[in-house]
Amino acid sequence: MDYNFAFVLRYQDALLVGLKMTVLVSLASIAIGCLWGFVLGMARGSSLRWARALATVYIEFFRGTPVIVQLFWVFFCLPLLLGIELSNMASGIVALSLYMGAISAESFRAALKTISPDQHNACVALGLSRYAEIRYVLMPQAILRAIPTLLSNCVSLFKESALVSAVGMADLMFVGQNISNATARPVEVLTVVALIYFVIAFPLTRGVTVLERKVLKGLAV
Amino acid sequence: MTYTFDFMAVRHGLGVLFDGLLVTLELTVAANVIGLTFGFGLALLVMHRWAVLRWPASLFVEFFRCTPAIIQIVWFFYCVPMLFDVYLDAMTMGILALACNLTAFNAEAYRAAIQAVPRDYRDAGIALGLNGWQRIRYIVLPTAFRAALPVLVSNGIGIFQQTALVAIVALQDLMYMGKSLATESYRPIETFTVVALIYFAVSFPVSQLASWFEHRRDRLAR
Repeated sequence: MDYNFAFVLRYQDALLVGLKMTVLVSLASIAIGCLWGFVLGMARGSSLRWARALATVYIEFFRGTPVIVQLFWVFFCLPLLLGIELSNMASGIVALSLYMGAISAESFRAALKTISPDQHNACVALGLSRYAEIRYVLMPQAILRAIPTLLSNCVSLFKESALVSAVGMADLMFVGQNISNATARPVEVLTVVALIYFVIAFPLTRGVTVLERKVLKGLAV
Repeated sequence: MTYTFDFMAVRHGLGVLFDGLLVTLELTVAANVIGLTFGFGLALLVMHRWAVLRWPASLFVEFFRCTPAIIQIVWFFYCVPMLFDVYLDAMTMGILALACNLTAFNAEAYRAAIQAVPRDYRDAGIALGLNGWQRIRYIVLPTAFRAALPVLVSNGIGIFQQTALVAIVALQDLMYMGKSLATESYRPIETFTVVALIYFAVSFPVSQLASWFEHRRDRLAR
């Protein structure tokens, strides 16, 4: 059998549309998930027992179940439970954000733990409000220290976003599978799709390592 | 909220879900056995002084780490039979795809652990007259394995969760059974909740084990 990779070029517009969808879903879930993760991370380290327990159960549950099950759950169950219509794009973003929140909460918690309690005492001594303490003392340090793990979580999320194809969202994976089925040329199409993911994710992982070594060491955090 | 829950619908399907869980566990165990052994070999290749061995090994690791697992599985199912003209049953294909993924991730864990093996240990091995193979077998492997264990276990749980993806290529694992049960019974909420709980019931104790290993390793290191 002979392979003709050039023919994939004919579908570059469709693949590009899919890639845009993949990037859009990833970025939206990363943005929402990071904010949600910071809140969860704070709750995880909080002195309120119920907040800590709730956050722990949430995090363990989302880290202990497959993302695809979470995606199906949100896709099929959330509309029934809430009685609202969710587009498959919305449910994809909701599911991935909930997951991203759980994994980034762990990075934030680890980062928050490195901030010594003396700083809290200093804030009290300076008469800072709890909000000012979080906003100006804890958050800048926690975010800076959490950046390396957060970024690798982002790369994982970019890869996990391929799962939304299973609930019928037209992302890169979905478009690729459709083209491959329509043309009966899976070898060329699927390989190209895999390469597209690789070309994006590989420099990102390398970038994370460089950032960790050079930039953050330079800031002496 | 007007929805009335009916977990009875799922109770009748529990036997089917259990059959699915067995397939999931079989995939997980097989992938882990392959991943744990070949991962170490691959890590040694990645660190080899000959570029001829180092480059393909690194490419393998980076490729499997930087592409979505779902495309790896779909790729295996469609492309391996066409490219190599071999027709394996779905289970073997699923195991192979997951094992390649896990091998790449474990190789990374082993590499970090091997690099952390103190230089002195190997010097001591040379002083004792061990040859290269013996140094790897009796010094590097046990030390690196112990150091990498927490990561290896969490990679193992990761692959347990990734096995849910084989449902997409119609392997009858827990996820697949759950999907068909949800369609048959018209009870997606109850079914997917039970399926999620089953996955959680398996992976949570193992992840606790991983953090226990990590805790113990750090305590011993001190």
